[in-house]
Amino acid sequence: MLDGLKDIIRKSSIHVCLVNTGGCNGCDIEIVALLSPRYDLEQYGIYVHNNPREADVIIVTGAMAEQWVDKLQRVYAKTPEPKIVVAVGNCPLTGDVFNQEGGNVHAPVSDFIPVDAEVSGCPPRPSEILEALLTVAPGAIAARGRQKL
Amino acid sequence: MSSVIWYLYEFARKSWAENFAAAKSNSEIMDKPSRFRDYPIVHKEYCIACGACTAACPAPMAIKLVRDVDSAHEQGITYPVINNRGCIRCGFCAEVCPTDPKTLTCGENHLIREKFTILPVDKKYVIDDYLCIRCKKCMKTCQVGDAIVEENNKILIDQKKCISCGECLKTCPVKGAIKGIHIANIDEQKEIINLVVDTLEAEIEAHEEDVKKIGGGEVFKLDMDSDDLIEKARAILPNDELINDIIENITDRLKLRIITWDKNKCTDCGLCVKECPSHAIRFTENGVIRDPDKCLKCSICYQTCPFGAIGYYIARFLFKPSEDGANIIHITLKTSDLPVRS
Repeated sequence: MLDGLKDIIRKSSIHVCLVNTGGCNGCDIEIVALLSPRYDLEQYGIYVHNNPREADVIIVTGAMAEQWVDKLQRVYAKTPEPKIVVAVGNCPLTGDVFNQEGGNVHAPVSDFIPVDAEVSGCPPRPSEILEALLTVAPGAIAARGRQKL
Repeated sequence: MSSVIWYLYEFARKSWAENFAAAKSNSEIMDKPSRFRDYPIVHKEYCIACGACTAACPAPMAIKLVRDVDSAHEQGITYPVINNRGCIRCGFCAEVCPTDPKTLTCGENHLIREKFTILPVDKKYVIDDYLCIRCKKCMKTCQVGDAIVEENNKILIDQKKCISCGECLKTCPVKGAIKGIHIANIDEQKEIINLVVDTLEAEIEAHEEDVKKIGGGEVFKLDMDSDDLIEKARAILPNDELINDIIENITDRLKLRIITWDKNKCTDCGLCVKECPSHAIRFTENGVIRDPDKCLKCSICYQTCPFGAIGYYIARFLFKPSEDGANIIHITLKTSDLPVRS
């Protein structure tokens, strides 16, 4: 019964931390568009906090610049369990246009932290990000929480 | 006071209370508008394996040319494959695709054909909107008066009024913001461009042994006398101004990819044969052989080879027409930083 109650609470209140690991900022702007009245992220119980210590979901954008190699793992370690990682945009998946020869990016992000969901696109539409978040986040967080107990 | 009453009136309405109780986004936010340019669509059967899409693509992981397995009767067809995890939906591949109908379609913009001018001149002037600083000096010097116009904060040349006098080009403070494009003798221009590229490639291939010795981070410099080249170009079209313009433009932008083949290191494993998108590498009695005429310089073989038999270099060029008659093309070569995937 306690598990069921925790599940309900975890599913209805998801806190998101947005981490840009050196991209063009386009994906971040699409995520900001999710906060606008048209998409209205908070009606689904998702809140953007930008504090890894309060987050359930880490949204990673950007192509892993040199400086982020150790810092992203620190951000991930500071997030309390249960947590999931969503990679938004092409940069965390393949490095996209930054992964040119002679470039200094360390994509993909999945080399450094485990990634649960991927949203491709450069940038993806806000509706695609919303779809991925709502499909993966509540169920995965609840499942992770049960595993831990 | 009146506004407070208005608010009270608004809150008292039933529809407001209903909306307030069930505030949800409409489902149409999930629809993509018709103007949205989505991932390119590939029509395999039209592809001629020219590799233009891979060259135009700004994202390195987005397009790969692949080849189907050969059957007993015919060679497998070659076609581009779009990787959605790398594609940025810019539509450049569809724009450059030369086949008709197009192998790659992406959105609608690339289907628009540019209008051509019917003026009896051989040079057309256009303004590059990226470089234009909107100083409007060209508008003041325009001999016609109103051939250069401002529209939506952009400076444009009205091709119907322009008489191609070239005065605007002289006053423009930014190099390259106004371009004079030769619109006559298109076929001859293509011939000269091919001649320049072929000559430069042959020049580099003549120094193949030196090129193979280039280490990582080193730059190999080469100077080429271009008098022969200009002489040959004059035979195609006797117009020195045009030839100089072409050579300068070509060498500015050209990035030649050079592939070298070290027979001693090759173990005839045949890994590259399967990967080559254009049938350029074949397995024969004499081992693995590469046909330079078919090669697209796509670098897939270089990334595949586990023995380092294939070298891959990038060449860049600079052309300086000097006044004392010595036309030298400076060539620089360096190794590519592409990772080897094996």
